[in-house]
Amino acid sequence: MIFLLMLPALIMLVFSFWDINKSKYLFPITSLLILIPSVRLFFLPKPYALWGDYLVIDNLSAYIMLVSSIVAICVTLAVSTLDLHVKISKSENAKFYRFFAIFWIGLTVSILANNMGVYWIGLETATLSTVYMIKTNQTLAAKKEAWNYMIVGAIAISLILFGIILIYASAKPILGENAMSFSALLRSAKDIKSPFLFEIGFAITTLGMFIKMGFFPMNLWLANIERASFYPIAALFSGILESAVIVGFFRFSKIASVINHQHVFIFVFIYTTLTIFIVSFLIYRAKDFMRLFSLSGVEHMAIIALFWASGGIFPALLHFGAHAFLKPALFLSTGILESKGKYRIAGALKGYSGVKGKVFYFLTGLFLLAIVSVPPSPMFFSELYGFGAMINIAKVNKHLLLMIGAIIVLLGLLSIIFYKFVEIYQSMKYEGEEKQKVVYGNEVFALVIFALSLVFLLTPWSFEFLRSIS
Amino acid sequence: MTSFLIGAFLATLISALFTTRLYGLILWYSLNSLSLALLAISIGFKIDDNTMIISGFLTLIVKSIVIPYILKKVSMKFGLARQITPNVPVYYSIMLIPALLVFTFYLAEPITNMMSSNANYVAISISALFLSLLLIIEHKNIAAKIIGFLTIENSLFLLGTTATNGMPMLVELGIFFDLLMAIVIINLLFKSEELS
Repeated sequence: MIFLLMLPALIMLVFSFWDINKSKYLFPITSLLILIPSVRLFFLPKPYALWGDYLVIDNLSAYIMLVSSIVAICVTLAVSTLDLHVKISKSENAKFYRFFAIFWIGLTVSILANNMGVYWIGLETATLSTVYMIKTNQTLAAKKEAWNYMIVGAIAISLILFGIILIYASAKPILGENAMSFSALLRSAKDIKSPFLFEIGFAITTLGMFIKMGFFPMNLWLANIERASFYPIAALFSGILESAVIVGFFRFSKIASVINHQHVFIFVFIYTTLTIFIVSFLIYRAKDFMRLFSLSGVEHMAIIALFWASGGIFPALLHFGAHAFLKPALFLSTGILESKGKYRIAGALKGYSGVKGKVFYFLTGLFLLAIVSVPPSPMFFSELYGFGAMINIAKVNKHLLLMIGAIIVLLGLLSIIFYKFVEIYQSMKYEGEEKQKVVYGNEVFALVIFALSLVFLLTPWSFEFLRSIS
Repeated sequence: MTSFLIGAFLATLISALFTTRLYGLILWYSLNSLSLALLAISIGFKIDDNTMIISGFLTLIVKSIVIPYILKKVSMKFGLARQITPNVPVYYSIMLIPALLVFTFYLAEPITNMMSSNANYVAISISALFLSLLLIIEHKNIAAKIIGFLTIENSLFLLGTTATNGMPMLVELGIFFDLLMAIVIINLLFKSEELS
């Protein structure tokens, strides 16, 4: 199984050294192979030890793996016509696939990891491989941002390792080397002799993960990077890399909640509310698609973390899935809208003719409205359930009025974002001049896959499965 | 012996903060890694932990010999600026560094109180982490920032060695692998900058 999971990446790595003009058509087919083991993971008895106690499949990792696989397939599909939208040399195009393959290996390891150290190694591998992917764009801004990412990413990842060491130190006296294992930690969390040390470790690890996702106070670095790099990289960041980061948060916070759930909730609540507060105003001031979607990604990751910490595992995972499909879809659409570097929000959706053009026009509009939770978007339901979970936790802690006030503030902030997105949608649709624009079949196909995945997310089967993870 | 090596680790890091020459900085990083390697080997022998001894030898080879050698080659190959004046003037650093050390000892007190052994070493690891961050902040030059990133990794290794008596072998190997990958990426970034 582990071989099957890594095989597409290995094939991609080997073929990236061949003539890119021929091999670029092979990559989407190769990436389709990712789906086979990802679907098979669902039918294995859980927990399934893939590689000793280091890589273990449970329902959470199977779900995140499937979501990431779909995103990877769609991004690879869209990348095959990247050179028709932006200026990219053959060698840089080949390097994109090469580093994408390494990225996929790192990502698979971190998603399936049942060991803190192995999780960190996978995340670091995925982070380092994206550094060069940013650089495939040969502009000065991309060069600067690649170095920035190298440094900020390294600091964030170092904080994660710092926290992991403290957690390990807190649990080693009772678990020995098993203190690295997520499942062992979860089982013995109550017996940890120094819960304070564990909580400090958790706070530092979470801080590192939050910095990596662009939370307060590092709100702009991710937006700058996604603006400077080519659009498929932004799609990979928002759809896959952030998934690998948040899966770590899920696992660490689950253990920390056993020790003291209230501490976890207060820490995450303050941090995420502050992030949403800052980001909503940054979104309001955003003047281009990439920054807008990037900042909106930060907002959604904050919401996911908040729902999860509130005990709303089902809404957090539903929101996570919807975001993982919607955001890359929007980034890919942006790449097409901004073709050849000419982008204007006004009239951006005008000028698409033919069946492909009309499908693209329809889906992009739909994704744009779905990301701000217009029903029947999965995000609409996840937010309903998520705020419900926050109310439930407030009832238990007897802080109901305070929580209702906080939810009203959050809704106020989300309404700023909603207003901005609707304004942009109207400007794209009704303002500006109409010019003939081109969209390619593979790109539309990728968007259709995203749309179908979103619809699938709304089926009773998906809801039932996500509830089973709780 | 352990105290002397920890002192050497901190001293080499502080010296790196005052360095204004790139090769000097690489040398201090190499010596920093050397003291770390010897520390891991000596603790490894003391507690009879083969994993830590192997990690120590790997540190010796990879961090104190291979990485400095590659960094020097890369800086020569791509003609990187050898004069790397820190943004923070020396007279401020003289005040800032001891203040940071005292502050981190105070900050780390709740953590060190939890430790059954090596409490002071843990505090030193955390202060080394802060000093490494200072190294990143005080330089505009990218090569110096890279050394800062590498010293962060050394500080974390020290923390792992002192706070937990060593991490599992697989994790240590993975960290080494990632470190080498980071060096390859850095090399590629410089290379593509030169080509463009």
